[in-house]
Amino acid sequence: MMIDSILLVDDEDLFHLVFEDACSLLDITLSLKAMSSADEAEKYFKNIVDNNLIKPDCIFVDLNIIGSSFDGIELCRRINFVHGDGVVIGIISSSNDETEQAKAMKAGAQFWIIKSDEIEPRLEDFRKDFDGYKDRTAPFKVYK
Amino acid sequence: MKKIKFSKTSAEQILELKKHNIRIEGNFLKVIDTSDNEELSNYVNECIEIDTETRKKRLDITRKVQDQNKELIDWKNKNEKAQKDLQLALEEANKAKAAAEKAKNNAEEDLDLLVKKNQNELVNKIVSTSLIVILGVGAITSGLYFYTIVTGNENQIIESSWANMFSILLTNSFSIIGTIMGVKHMQSTNDTTKKKR
Repeated sequence: MMIDSILLVDDEDLFHLVFEDACSLLDITLSLKAMSSADEAEKYFKNIVDNNLIKPDCIFVDLNIIGSSFDGIELCRRINFVHGDGVVIGIISSSNDETEQAKAMKAGAQFWIIKSDEIEPRLEDFRKDFDGYKDRTAPFKVYK
Repeated sequence: MKKIKFSKTSAEQILELKKHNIRIEGNFLKVIDTSDNEELSNYVNECIEIDTETRKKRLDITRKVQDQNKELIDWKNKNEKAQKDLQLALEEANKAKAAAEKAKNNAEEDLDLLVKKNQNELVNKIVSTSLIVILGVGAITSGLYFYTIVTGNENQIIESSWANMFSILLTNSFSIIGTIMGVKHMQSTNDTTKKKR
C-alpha cells in the first residue's frame, strides 16, 4: 500500500534527495514534502490545522535539526499535543540512543528509524507496519 | 489514489512527446491510467523504467556525496583535534624550555659562586703564605742584624743586605697586593658582563 502524503523534517538537504528517491523507488508515497527546520514545520502544521487543510499522513522528523530553535522530539510533542492528532509521526535519526528513544515515545513518536547507508529495507518494513501506526494499534518500534 | 484516464486526443498529444524524444518524469507517471491504450502503456512503462534508472543513479551519487561529506567532516574534526593537541604540545614545550633555561641559569650561578669561593680560598692561601714568607725573611734578617749589633761583629754586609732585603720585601708586598687587586677587579668585571647578558 502507498502512504498518501509524507512530510520529512531534516536539516540535511542531501538526505531529502535520498529519502525522496528511496520513497519513489519503493513506491511508498506519491506526495513528499521536505523541510529543513522544526520551526518551519511547526508553522506549516499550524497553518494546516488553522485553515482546516489536509494533514500529511505521516511525518518523519530528524532528532537534531540544526538551525532550529527546538529538536525533533519537541516537534513531535507539539504536533501531537498542541496542533492536533491522528498523524503518524516518528523520528528518523542516525542515533540509537535508548534514552532519546524513550523521550521520543513519551512525546508521541510511534517509531524510530535509524538513518544509515541503506535506508530502503527499513522503509519497506515501516510501510508494512504503517496501518498499525495509523489505527494506533502498533507499539513503538525501532527500525535498525 | 485514483488514476487519471486521458481522452483519446490527450493520449495522442502525450504520445507526440515520444516522437520528440521527450519523456515524462516523476510520480505523475504512477497515476496515469493506461489500461485501454497499448501504445500509451508502452510509452509510460518506458518512461517509468528510465525514471527508475535515473533515480537509482541519483541515489547512488547522493549517497557517495553524503559519504564524502561525512569523511570531510570527520577529517575536519580530526584536523581540529590535531591542531589543538599540537598547540598544547607547543605550550608544554615552551614551559619545559623556560624551566630548563631557569635551571641552567641557576646552575651557572652556583658554578660562579663555587669558582669565586675557590678563587678566594686560593687568594687567601697565597696571601697567608706570602705574608709568612715576608715576615719570616724579615724577622730572620732583622734578628741576624740585631745580633751583629749586640755582639759588635762586623755588620756592614748584613746592614746593606738587610736594607736591600727590606726594600725587596716591600716591593714584593706591593706586587702581591697589586696582583690580588687585579684578580678581584677582573672577577667583578666578569660578573658585570654576565649580568648584562
